[in-house]
Amino acid sequence: MSPPCRVRVSGGFVLLAAWFALANGWEPLATVLGAAAVHELGHWAVLRGLGAEVTGFRLSALGAVLETDSRKLSYGGELAAVLAGPAANLLAALALTAGGCWSAAGANLVLCVFNLLPIRPLDGGRALYLMTSWLAGPGAGEAAVRWAGTLTAAALAAAMGCVIWKTGGSLWLLPALWASLQWGAAPWLSGAGA
Amino acid sequence: MTSRQAGRRLMSARTQRRSSRSRVRKSEPLAAKDLRLMMRLVACGGIFVALVAAKLLLPAKMAGFNEKLSAAMERNMDVQAVFSAVGRAFSGEEGVAEVYQAVFHPEEEALQTGAVSQAEAGAPLSAGEAKTLAETVSWSPEARDGAAMEALRSFRPEAPEEAPSEPEAQSASNLAYVLYSQENLPESVSMEQAILGFDYCAPVAGTLSSDFGYREHPTEGEERFHYGVDLAADAGTEVRCFADGAVTAVGDSSSYGRYCVVAHEGGYSTLYAHCSRVTVSSGAAVNRGQKIAEVGETGMATGPHLHFELQREGTYLNPVYYVSTL
Repeated sequence: MSPPCRVRVSGGFVLLAAWFALANGWEPLATVLGAAAVHELGHWAVLRGLGAEVTGFRLSALGAVLETDSRKLSYGGELAAVLAGPAANLLAALALTAGGCWSAAGANLVLCVFNLLPIRPLDGGRALYLMTSWLAGPGAGEAAVRWAGTLTAAALAAAMGCVIWKTGGSLWLLPALWASLQWGAAPWLSGAGA
Repeated sequence: MTSRQAGRRLMSARTQRRSSRSRVRKSEPLAAKDLRLMMRLVACGGIFVALVAAKLLLPAKMAGFNEKLSAAMERNMDVQAVFSAVGRAFSGEEGVAEVYQAVFHPEEEALQTGAVSQAEAGAPLSAGEAKTLAETVSWSPEARDGAAMEALRSFRPEAPEEAPSEPEAQSASNLAYVLYSQENLPESVSMEQAILGFDYCAPVAGTLSSDFGYREHPTEGEERFHYGVDLAADAGTEVRCFADGAVTAVGDSSSYGRYCVVAHEGGYSTLYAHCSRVTVSSGAAVNRGQKIAEVGETGMATGPHLHFELQREGTYLNPVYYVSTL
């Protein structure tokens, strides 16, 4: 029998969702959550296809995380599972574009591109680590994701800061800005993978 | 060794171990998790104390800061429009410039579009004049809003939303007389039909839902002077420019919603309010009949309509003479 999937929703997520809805309305919130659901379904489908059990689902202010025991997955299998989320968003965007649902297509694309940024713990960061580790060993993978992650996170934080400054608002981006700063600094502060 | 001695020795060994363990615990540095929690607590406490101190010591500055913060909290990019622009750019229907526009200048269409339509239609303003106007409205949000509000204020110099107290006290039966008696009109209002001296067109084909003059305010309930006409039309209906001119302000206010002001020749200017979106940018040259906005119900409105005002050198004119209604 497969273990039960534990679902956890943090207070931070509820607060951020409420703030986002108050600032932008329910429709954009539903669009973003819909795109996030597509993303997670992509991960889940490939994990199930590879025979990996999904043991938990965490929803926090920093995003959604599917918990799984990936130890038995090969580099290729884990890479497929990691890239399945952005791929699902891309496919959804293509289908929605064909149907003329521009905003839903745009939300899926934004989520796809955002998750492909080479920052750990985003899919792009994990994929970069897996690919480099597969080709040149875990040390090289760690170094690659550390440098790429820090530089990209700094650029992302600067971009979000620029949006906040130039629009004179959109303060709901602040938690994301803070998160990207944390992601960029985390490998150097914790010494992960050293 | 007797069993009692052995027991005593065992007891003392345990006691020693326990006391040494407690000594270790006392001198042990905080675990990383506890340290993080402690740091957060100290940071939060510090911010709280700093804010309280600032409020007590610099009340005026804090009030200003509060105002700025409230304004920033209320000002948000249109996420749905940004997603839509991304989707359209992905499909190839629009370019990346529209995405940039949706993020940074949501109320305005790409400057490029304005420039193209200007060139195509033979705008009345020279490129230099349009540029000068564009430069007067800075692109930074604070300055842009400030410029828009300045233009709005100049459009309604005294902002006489409320009628003078005397006409307010008069009964509704006297309103017809009040309306057409120049003496009892608010300052800067003229009921005369001016000869404009240029070609013009109706901004929307809609139903006249509220006339120029005194009326019971639809949301406030009290008698106020209505400085324009309301033309009811479906949301999204094209709003066309009344006559050739230049956009002097594009903005968003709590009462007018999304609006734009266009200056025409001869000192005339027109205002288009409650739009769902404004599709021209400040400083752009526009032509008679050109689409400049879409009908909406932003701001203080009870349904989708265009609030249209006409002014000549600061004097409000009744636009009803110049708009055809359904």
